Amino acid sequence: MNVAMSALVCVLVAGMLLRMPIGFSMLVSGFAYLLVKGQDLGLVAEQVVNGLYNSYVLLAVPLFVFAANIMNAGTVSERIFDFCRILVGRMRGGLAQVDILVSVIFSGMSGSAIADAAGPGLVTIKQMLKKPEYSRGFAGAVVVASATLGPIIPPSIPMVIYAMVSGASVGALFLGGVVPGFCMAVLMMVVVHFIAVKRNMPREAPVPLREWPTILFRGALPLSMPIVLLGGIYSGAFTPTEAAAVAALHALILASVVYRALTWRSFWGVVMESTRGSAVITLILAGSFMLNYAFTAEGVPQALAQWVDSMQLSQIKFLLLVNVMFLVLGCFLDVSVLLLVFVPMLLPAAKLLGVDLVHFGVLVVLNMMIGLIHPPFGMLLFVTKALTGIPIGEMMKEGWPFLVMLLLLLLAITFFPQIVLWLPQTMGYKTA
Amino acid sequence: MARWLQGFANAIGGGLFLTLFIVFIVQIAARFGLNKPLPWTDELAVILYIWVILWAAAFVVPQREHVVFDLVWNSAGRRARQAMQIVGNLLIGGLALVGLPASWDYVHFMAREGTPVLEVPLMWVYLPFVLLMAALVVRSAWAIWNAVRGIGLDATELRTQ
Repeated sequence: MNVAMSALVCVLVAGMLLRMPIGFSMLVSGFAYLLVKGQDLGLVAEQVVNGLYNSYVLLAVPLFVFAANIMNAGTVSERIFDFCRILVGRMRGGLAQVDILVSVIFSGMSGSAIADAAGPGLVTIKQMLKKPEYSRGFAGAVVVASATLGPIIPPSIPMVIYAMVSGASVGALFLGGVVPGFCMAVLMMVVVHFIAVKRNMPREAPVPLREWPTILFRGALPLSMPIVLLGGIYSGAFTPTEAAAVAALHALILASVVYRALTWRSFWGVVMESTRGSAVITLILAGSFMLNYAFTAEGVPQALAQWVDSMQLSQIKFLLLVNVMFLVLGCFLDVSVLLLVFVPMLLPAAKLLGVDLVHFGVLVVLNMMIGLIHPPFGMLLFVTKALTGIPIGEMMKEGWPFLVMLLLLLLAITFFPQIVLWLPQTMGYKTA
Repeated sequence: MARWLQGFANAIGGGLFLTLFIVFIVQIAARFGLNKPLPWTDELAVILYIWVILWAAAFVVPQREHVVFDLVWNSAGRRARQAMQIVGNLLIGGLALVGLPASWDYVHFMAREGTPVLEVPLMWVYLPFVLLMAALVVRSAWAIWNAVRGIGLDATELRTQ
């Protein structure tokens, strides 16, 4: 590693250890790099603003954040909750099963795991904590686990960002997440079922028949969203970015006109929350433009690709290595940093080995979701703790069956790309 | 005064965000409703996007909402935190200050080029990057001043979003 690169890494690591915002550390480490190199410092501005200017697909990110926040403010989660109570509430451990099904439906409209935990997750945790049969840790663990469905089942914010980084098709990536997402949901329901039977958890009281029509009608309205979204993208009626705007508009109409749960005041709160949330995500992205410029100028990804090539790794070994890397690095770094800094470094190697970019993308996003639920950087654990006060240790104690299940699924997807690729290929996606 | 300024910054940020959303709705409505695609909406959306993100990062998002690595911070003592806060902000603010003139030079230089449809000089599109760097300098200085006075040295409790 040469001096300029060392300066960059030093500033980046020092900034992080000193608790400076990671996005800012990334940006200014670019200045340090250029200073040592003796290059024009204006390159940072050029990389960042051009990067943002030329990444039209990224515009979907703030719009998906907006859609999710509107749904959370507009009691959409509560309507889906009632709807799912009719469907699976009568199973043993009914509330936990309801939570997973709610997450599946919510995921079809939102692409953020954090929004899933903060919205429907919070609604079901409150219900579970009213009953002594559900321990705090179990309630938290189920919600945290089911929230990982958000970005796997389309739409998905991390997949949009991956598409920008890799050049893979957003539509194919979204389709690729459908089967793994449903596998995850079914497996989670199985895990919950076993635990519920063992601990003799209660069933929910049946919902009176005369309330069914209203509840089913109100719950079915949000269900129309995934159909509009995915149908729109695949028919070519709108771009993924426009689909995100349609999702936000749909949520806005549901929340304000149909449910009448949104006041002007709360609407402005949602706008501000979305502005801040989008800026936080995109700032790291902006920093990654500069970092990736420096890495590419220094030939890091190419060197990595050559190294992988010289090791004669098979595809499977490479993918397993990526999984291990994510698990280890996920203990030190936020998943967004992994996606934006490490994935671009790995892409040339992946391409060289003939790994399908859609398969790789879904694998990466699933790895990120696992990173969200294991400490110390498990953002979902932090969010759930912040919202409910359930200690992270208790959630971890109850959460391991879900973690093991997700790791097994990760292995399955690593070895059988068809789990991801079958649906996109059926719909006409051609493997490069 | 500080509260009034923050309110102003928030209003600009939120207003830009809302406009971005409306531009998309107009774009879709024009294509499907009026069957007449508009040439300028995509471009305006991207310009607004750059402004929303960099403006909000500079003036709207509070320190506690940023993605940070706080394991060291939370296990450090009060004096160590004070030192961390001062050194860290010197690093960030100092480098931002060093990079500020060159950033302005680049952005100013881009005044000669315009966007394809609306012909907005790129200087105005890229300007918020310079604002962000300037804000970083001021915010770092403020944070150092606070750290010297012993303000803002508590453990981070939570990071939602």
